Amino acid sequence: MKILYLIVSLLFVMLGTLKLSRNDVPAEMQMELDSLARVGSVMVDGDVCQKIVTERSKEFLFASDPRDKFLAGDNYDVDDVAFNSVKKTLLRLSHLVSYPADVNLWMPIEGHPGKIQLVIRNKNEMSQFWSWGELYGDMLPQMETVLKTGRRVAVARKPGWISVLAPIHNSLGDVVGLIEAVSQVKVDAHENVK
Amino acid sequence: MRRLQAPFLFLLMVISGQALPAADLQALPEFLRSDPFGAIVAPDRSGADLASNLYGTQQRVMLTGCRGGYVSFHLVVKLPSPSNYTLEVAIPDRANKVQIDLFREWFHFTDSDRHYYPDALIPVHATYSSRLPEPDNNIPQQTSQAFWVDVYIPPDTRPGILSGRAQLKAGAKTTILPIRLTVLASIIPGEDVVTIDHNSYGSSWLAQQFVASYQHNPDHWFESDQFFGLVHAYHRLFYEHRGIFHQLGYGHSGKVAPEFAPVLEGSGRAKHITSWSLYDRHYGPLLDGTAFSACRRVPRPIPFVYLPINPEWPASYEFWGEAGYEAEFVNVVSEIERHFREKGWTHTNFEIFFNHKKRYKGFPWDGDEVRFPKDLKYFLEYGRLLRKALPADTPAHFLFRVDVSWDMEQQFEILKGVVKLWCASGGILSFYKDAPKMLRDRGDVIWYYGGPPGVTDSSAAITEFPLRAWLWGVNGYVHWLTVSPGEDPWFHFNGGQTALVYSGERFGLTEPIPSIRLKIQRNCLQDLALLDSFKGRKSLESLRAGAARRYNHSSLEDWWNPRPALADLPSDQWLGSAIDDATKHTRALGDPGASGWYNVHQYALSLQAEAK
Repeated sequence: MKILYLIVSLLFVMLGTLKLSRNDVPAEMQMELDSLARVGSVMVDGDVCQKIVTERSKEFLFASDPRDKFLAGDNYDVDDVAFNSVKKTLLRLSHLVSYPADVNLWMPIEGHPGKIQLVIRNKNEMSQFWSWGELYGDMLPQMETVLKTGRRVAVARKPGWISVLAPIHNSLGDVVGLIEAVSQVKVDAHENVK
Repeated sequence: MRRLQAPFLFLLMVISGQALPAADLQALPEFLRSDPFGAIVAPDRSGADLASNLYGTQQRVMLTGCRGGYVSFHLVVKLPSPSNYTLEVAIPDRANKVQIDLFREWFHFTDSDRHYYPDALIPVHATYSSRLPEPDNNIPQQTSQAFWVDVYIPPDTRPGILSGRAQLKAGAKTTILPIRLTVLASIIPGEDVVTIDHNSYGSSWLAQQFVASYQHNPDHWFESDQFFGLVHAYHRLFYEHRGIFHQLGYGHSGKVAPEFAPVLEGSGRAKHITSWSLYDRHYGPLLDGTAFSACRRVPRPIPFVYLPINPEWPASYEFWGEAGYEAEFVNVVSEIERHFREKGWTHTNFEIFFNHKKRYKGFPWDGDEVRFPKDLKYFLEYGRLLRKALPADTPAHFLFRVDVSWDMEQQFEILKGVVKLWCASGGILSFYKDAPKMLRDRGDVIWYYGGPPGVTDSSAAITEFPLRAWLWGVNGYVHWLTVSPGEDPWFHFNGGQTALVYSGERFGLTEPIPSIRLKIQRNCLQDLALLDSFKGRKSLESLRAGAARRYNHSSLEDWWNPRPALADLPSDQWLGSAIDDATKHTRALGDPGASGWYNVHQYALSLQAEAK
């Protein structure tokens, strides 16, 4: 088992080095984020995550009314106790790396395969996948891989950015969501201040 | 065949752009915008009969204005074929008091209806030479160029009559329009009766709109003198137009841009401020009023400003509900209060305002437009923390502000004594006729919010917001976004419903430039200040009723909606479409057309004549 872990780690470092040349993200940065994501996978409580988005939100998430373009957003609600509990864990996780990073929570949407929802964002307002303002979006293949296989996946989608996606489990052992541990080589102090 | 009457012929000429008796140079009232081919733009045509009101005998342009304000009109240069021209406007004044500001009007092509509308105003010298078609506006077959003329009459101008003229030279031909300016004795009060706020978010838009300046110094631009000078220029531009400017400095998850907050260090009880450098460069000249020292209006500190306080600043949300959150919040806010006090920044209202919405996934409660009553406990907790952080006798004014819509009626009660500045959805506030008085009587400030009308609306549409604020008896109105003219406002304009100013960089300027809508709004605010000043002689209600009647034949009651049944339901059961239905009555008031405000202006002038 230890040997397997060493091989995987070595492979990961090699992949990280490849990323550096392709995406200007230092390998150490990616390794730190991966460690963070690994810890996050253990520490974030999937059962609590499943309590965050309320039934009302789910009911209205795909609702539309030509006379009310804000129908879904206006009915978006969360259980604040569950939200706060998970958010605090995500914030603490972000301290595991030596540079500014966010850990965001993403959850699949029951009954809507192929769609995914960002549930918690954090203070640096970083994400490679969230289009500002959207309630839900299309599930990326890498996210689907994490949810199906329970493996961590590193994604360098934008130049200078790196995200590590890691699974979140509930008490039944199901993968119920994923965290996005994300950072940028060069942080833009003004991005998303709006 | 009946003979056409002279005024009718005049009207036809104005609408169609046919030459007036004054040949190549035409004056138009501020509410009639010309297109680049000399015709009045469609939304303003209902007021086309105003054109003749601007002229006296011998085709003289007749202007009348009170002191301490502006009189405005358009000049339209019309050339049947491409040619060079020089336009000159002057109203000589022996005492050298009266000042002329001339602006070339940019014709924006709007993609929505594929027409041209003038809006951005490019400052030019009072003697302006160019050619038609105007090279940079790039309009094939352009035959007309419009100019906005602002005549500023300082408060110490001697009342009387001044003569001037506008002169156009094109080829061998010279056209002269004589101008007569009557300066009235009345002085427009410097204080506005309603606060008109122009809101914005962050600073990144400045780098996008002043891209040459930004690219000159991309790594340090947001800390440069150019940057802060530009921010101050926006404040000045709005202030000179009788408005105020807000920039919110944090995002929906609590990220604060550096220039909006002091630098923090440490955690828990050790958290403290380490530097005020950028904050003071940003806000110092605004909070002591020196940023406005060159203004025509009396320089003064900005009356309102957002603080960077949000659920993630200054206390980390990681500690929410714990002793560490309270320690971080109370200690840092106390330091902020001390800094403001030591600096003498005691004339500004510092707003604690939560803009986040849970739909943007940063926090589990709505700071903006609370819909679910369970969220209000967070406001009460921040009220407690603020009381703990601020000395009871602080001379600095900290004001808890909330933007309310859904359950504003409940919040007025539950947050009584905690919240002091209410910014309310205009649609929903219209159900609660007694609310403005109730809130003001207990010392609260009440504004309402909406967005600017687009250029495709009538020119006077923007006057509805200040007028409604004054009729309702609220303290102010907020245009929710006023600095975002879209990706290409010059040739593919989105209509301007999120912009009242533009970047001047395209024209070699390092500052923002105003719009026609902003000018019309300023002139409306002048009139409201003047109207309100007569309340010693007439009741405020009769003044308001007189203005409403002249504006759109309405009564004061017409500006309110009956309380709908849904107002008695829990707000989480309301539907957006039901709110629309419940505001039908006021929406039916409709656009008064271009002449609506002209009639109110005339009313104000008639009252000042009576007063004399």
